[in-house]
Amino acid sequence: MRHALSPLLLEAAEQDERFLVLSGDHGYELFDGLRTHYPERFVNVGVAEQSMVGIAAGLCRVGFRPCIYGLAAFVPMRVLEQVKIDLCHGSLPVIMLGDGAGLVYSVLGASHQCGEDIACLRSLPNIAIYSPCDAYEFRACWNEARQASHPSYLRIGKAHPEEIHSGPLLDTGPVVVCEAADARARGVVVATGAMVRIGVQCAREHGICCISVPRLKPAPIELLGLLSGVQRIAVLEEHVSSGGLWSLLLEMLQSAGVTGHVSVEPIGLRDAFTQTAGDHQHALSEHGLDNGQIADRLNRWLNARPARMP
Amino acid sequence: MHIAPFDPRALRRHIVRMAYAGRSAHLGCALSLVEILAVLFGAVMRYDRSDPLSPKRDLLVLSKGHGVMALYACFRELGWVVDEDVLNYLANGTRLRGVSEADIPGCEVSGGSLGHGLPVAVGMAFGLLRQQSERRVWCIVGDGEMNEGSIWEAMLFASHQRLGNLTVIVDANGFQAMGNTEEVLRLEPLAAKFAAFGFATVECDGHDIPAITAALHGGEDGQGRPRAIIARTVKGRGISFMAADNRWHYTRLTAETLAAALEELH
Repeated sequence: MRHALSPLLLEAAEQDERFLVLSGDHGYELFDGLRTHYPERFVNVGVAEQSMVGIAAGLCRVGFRPCIYGLAAFVPMRVLEQVKIDLCHGSLPVIMLGDGAGLVYSVLGASHQCGEDIACLRSLPNIAIYSPCDAYEFRACWNEARQASHPSYLRIGKAHPEEIHSGPLLDTGPVVVCEAADARARGVVVATGAMVRIGVQCAREHGICCISVPRLKPAPIELLGLLSGVQRIAVLEEHVSSGGLWSLLLEMLQSAGVTGHVSVEPIGLRDAFTQTAGDHQHALSEHGLDNGQIADRLNRWLNARPARMP
Repeated sequence: MHIAPFDPRALRRHIVRMAYAGRSAHLGCALSLVEILAVLFGAVMRYDRSDPLSPKRDLLVLSKGHGVMALYACFRELGWVVDEDVLNYLANGTRLRGVSEADIPGCEVSGGSLGHGLPVAVGMAFGLLRQQSERRVWCIVGDGEMNEGSIWEAMLFASHQRLGNLTVIVDANGFQAMGNTEEVLRLEPLAAKFAAFGFATVECDGHDIPAITAALHGGEDGQGRPRAIIARTVKGRGISFMAADNRWHYTRLTAETLAAALEELH
């Protein structure tokens, strides 16, 4: 997915003279294309994420359309209050790119890992939140964010070279990425971001349905239609379940009056920091979320006797 | 071109009336600002008195948003705020709040959370410079507010990007919420710090209208250095029993203290 970003930045610079990118000294080769063709559209503000958000707000207020880039652990986490006051309060159309979300920076530990950004941002008014799973979803989210009249956050998780979808998406609503219409009674996997990949893989193996959710706010209410009649749902995310997609789905079901008959299984980060060094899969394993553990959990979940219905 | 500073006494009368009507705190930090704003609005800033949102206006950012009553007092002089706003200040459902909020025409930025206004002002100045605009940005920070790290981040950027269209005015009243700025977190030598950051820096008496006027008009060296004006002020200035008494950061006016204040401002 990350590979989709560089050309989109260049394209935005070509299309809109108001567009520019600010970075807090992160990104390396990600901005090479932009810097080569439009050097004045890239501004490294230094290791100064707080003022970067304010500077983006000021640029926006005099007519620019800034995009701010950082590691998700810093943008939006470190600067959450700047996001709240400088961007959300005035509903300014600034795009935030939070790279390395989840446990991507496994070896760098808690400071660089980020499993709480969606939960924190969901509570702020006016912001749109996206968690794309591949380049196609990323482009759809990016295009929507560029058209918006309010701030947007794009969460960028673990990069994979191959795509999930087979072609461009028309919108950012939830998408069935593994169809098994006749198997819905067995359960449906709902996933977002980097976790869609393993979700699809497991769903195929078991012949069940998997849905990807790229836009988390405004709430993806179309999901309720896709899950109509489904009584067993597993929610897969590289984010703490509490406050993430799992919470969001429970809230949506509750609001829609769908209660009691539906069980929603959280498969997300546990409420703890990682403890040891290692690669991305190792970091996920501390949370019971490496590929093998997820496959086991989904297997157990599918084979568990359904809760007795009242 | 507007050449006469606003009348500081009139501004202070608006402030105490508002503070009384709204049972508002933060009187001292509004009163220290009065002459600075009187000169900015009366004799320095380029703007349209009939339209707070005119597209070619200079931008004034009150980063120390707690002093907002002084800004509202200027708006009252301009007719952007009316008597009804003053008399109903902070009443349920009214539009003016107790800190500067960007949705009020004339308040460009929300300044209630300290350390936010200057970075936004710097972004504005950076953008305007890129647009080769003649518009200028004026940002008022408090000396207490300068405890915030984001202020220093923004100062680095302003200097690095040679934002000659930016003027930072420090309302150096020597106090913050819980005490004397030098006792809470030492800030001096402030002018030397700004100069070391690359600002064209001057100090002036922040209640001396000609001195402020000279400071605000001067110092553009044509080399793109942002300017800093350290206005030495007195918290609670203009009302004898409030001057340099930090209790007026929080104390509310009574009918008696209001009458005494207005008597002095007659």
